Amino acid sequence: MKLRLLSGSLVLVCLSLLLGAGCAKKRTGTMPTGASKVEVVEEERQWQTPPAKEDRAIEERRLAEESRLARERERQAAEKAVADMIHFSFDSYELTAESREVLQAKAGIMKSQPAMRMVVEGYCDERGTEEYNLALGERRARAAYEFLILLGVAPERLSIVSFGEERPLDPGNNETAWAMNRRDEFRVSE
Amino acid sequence: MSKTFARLIGAACLVLAGISFFGQARASGALTVDIHGPGQRTVNMVVLPQRAVDGRQAAPLAADLDRELRRDLSLLPFLRLMPVSELLGGDPSKGVEASDIDFKPLSLARADLVMTAGWSGDEVQVRVFETFGGRRVIGKAYAEVTAKTVPRVADRVCSLLLEALTGKKGFFESPIAFVRKTGSGKEIYKVLPQGRDLEQVTRAGGYNLGPDWSKDGRYIVFSHLGDDRHTLGLWDGRSGEVSFKAFAGNTVISPAFASDGEIAVTLDLTGAPDIYLLDRRLEPVKPLVRSWAIDVSPSFDRAGRKMAFTSGRVGSPQIFLLEIETGLIQRVTFEGSYNTNPCLSPDGRYVVFSRSTNGGHRIFLHDLATGAERQLTFGPGSDEDPAFGPDGYFVAFSSSREGGYKIYLTTRHGDDPVRVDTGRGQAFAPAWGVAAPDH
Repeated sequence: MKLRLLSGSLVLVCLSLLLGAGCAKKRTGTMPTGASKVEVVEEERQWQTPPAKEDRAIEERRLAEESRLARERERQAAEKAVADMIHFSFDSYELTAESREVLQAKAGIMKSQPAMRMVVEGYCDERGTEEYNLALGERRARAAYEFLILLGVAPERLSIVSFGEERPLDPGNNETAWAMNRRDEFRVSE
Repeated sequence: MSKTFARLIGAACLVLAGISFFGQARASGALTVDIHGPGQRTVNMVVLPQRAVDGRQAAPLAADLDRELRRDLSLLPFLRLMPVSELLGGDPSKGVEASDIDFKPLSLARADLVMTAGWSGDEVQVRVFETFGGRRVIGKAYAEVTAKTVPRVADRVCSLLLEALTGKKGFFESPIAFVRKTGSGKEIYKVLPQGRDLEQVTRAGGYNLGPDWSKDGRYIVFSHLGDDRHTLGLWDGRSGEVSFKAFAGNTVISPAFASDGEIAVTLDLTGAPDIYLLDRRLEPVKPLVRSWAIDVSPSFDRAGRKMAFTSGRVGSPQIFLLEIETGLIQRVTFEGSYNTNPCLSPDGRYVVFSRSTNGGHRIFLHDLATGAERQLTFGPGSDEDPAFGPDGYFVAFSSSREGGYKIYLTTRHGDDPVRVDTGRGQAFAPAWGVAAPDH
């Protein structure tokens, strides 16, 4: 992604250099001493040569690239907001007030990005046992899923999956790590 | 089971048919181990040095067989192996038969059993006698023994000995399926309890969890966690192939065989994780238990009459029991606030489960007949995922007592846990199967 952005901006820089070279300064006539006044007809002149076929293609590509980048930026902003996690108490799948706010923001984005689909992933800390945690992760993912539907997101655009105690964010064996790991993650899917 | 080995057993039966009077000789006074406790006792056994019975030098495989026999026997918690050096006068035998053994120093040293092994070329005869009275407990011969079949001979001998002492069959031939951590995920493996025949079952990627064996030992069912959904995985031991099936709701947790061909599994078809029964085409037939809360981890007795499971319906995870025929559900655990991982004994009398304590999870045994509860394991670390062996005597579980999770064996009586050799990487979620007749 970064690489694409970088090469995109490189193209832009090159384009502006090219265009800049084509622009000439306007010249006005000056009268030498002793010379009769000659009416100088000043005409608006387009010094820039009309873009050749190739240049037009470059221009079109530039525009396409620009709008693509704009869409990309928008998508990235949306993905970033979508990526905000929510967290849970031990053995609980209740949404906190904070979690509800985070989900409201996501619902807003989902509405502004009608093509976006999202996967909600439920996770647990390692203290419980695997099978119960898989079910608890499902409950956590479903809690977010149901709240998003309540906020008007179409259920077809959402899906859930539980990873139980797999894929911990923090492998530590302490309350900070556990609190970090009891979470829902949100992922944009195509 | 290889053809060679089948031939071996055939030969064994022939060779000793003449002298085998074990069935009739099992008199009321015979030594048995009551594995139903509380009469369980420690049995002392001496394994005599193996010898050549045809006048030649001892066979080159004698040392291998001795080592493998001792490895197997060390898994039997009621058996104590005594060194020959504890006997007055050293080795009290001149041969491998009862008439060749002086049982007196054995009795004096309080040895209950004595094992002899005699080689004649590539054939070995193994016998175990009671020191009191000299009755032969087992006697078998194995022909065409090679370095490769030595471990199998040891397993057969020890299975027969265990059966003779406890009446339980096939312990050393009953594979344990388990989950092993791989580089980026978890895969299903299987191994014999004595650490032999370790084999990777799945190569599916993602997380493959919660294996359970079909009652005939042919299939392993498990749940597969992919990036976007869970699927039900089914391994066929006959073809070695694994197939996957997806369900509505994307959630597939803790599948277990109810009886041959029928699988119970937690699915989320209506918005809560409930336990469903699947038919042979793996289509959900009906919910077995449903509640507003989590219902997970079904475990059946051999007859398929009862199902233990975990439910969060009372606000915390507790163990419950469903009577299949009547649909009656009773709560099993009332102590502790986190009881999970139930496993019913094959006879349906006991439930083992893990209970969260201040020191971590511990394995407990609940007697459904009396309601009595007993702690079987004491950590350190966390003891989880208990699973009864097919005999209802051994209990496998996973534990972090030595750091990373590994599989251990204890018994229904809480004997000192022995670690199962599962190779490299952490190991979880043991499930015990029966030896499949076809492989």
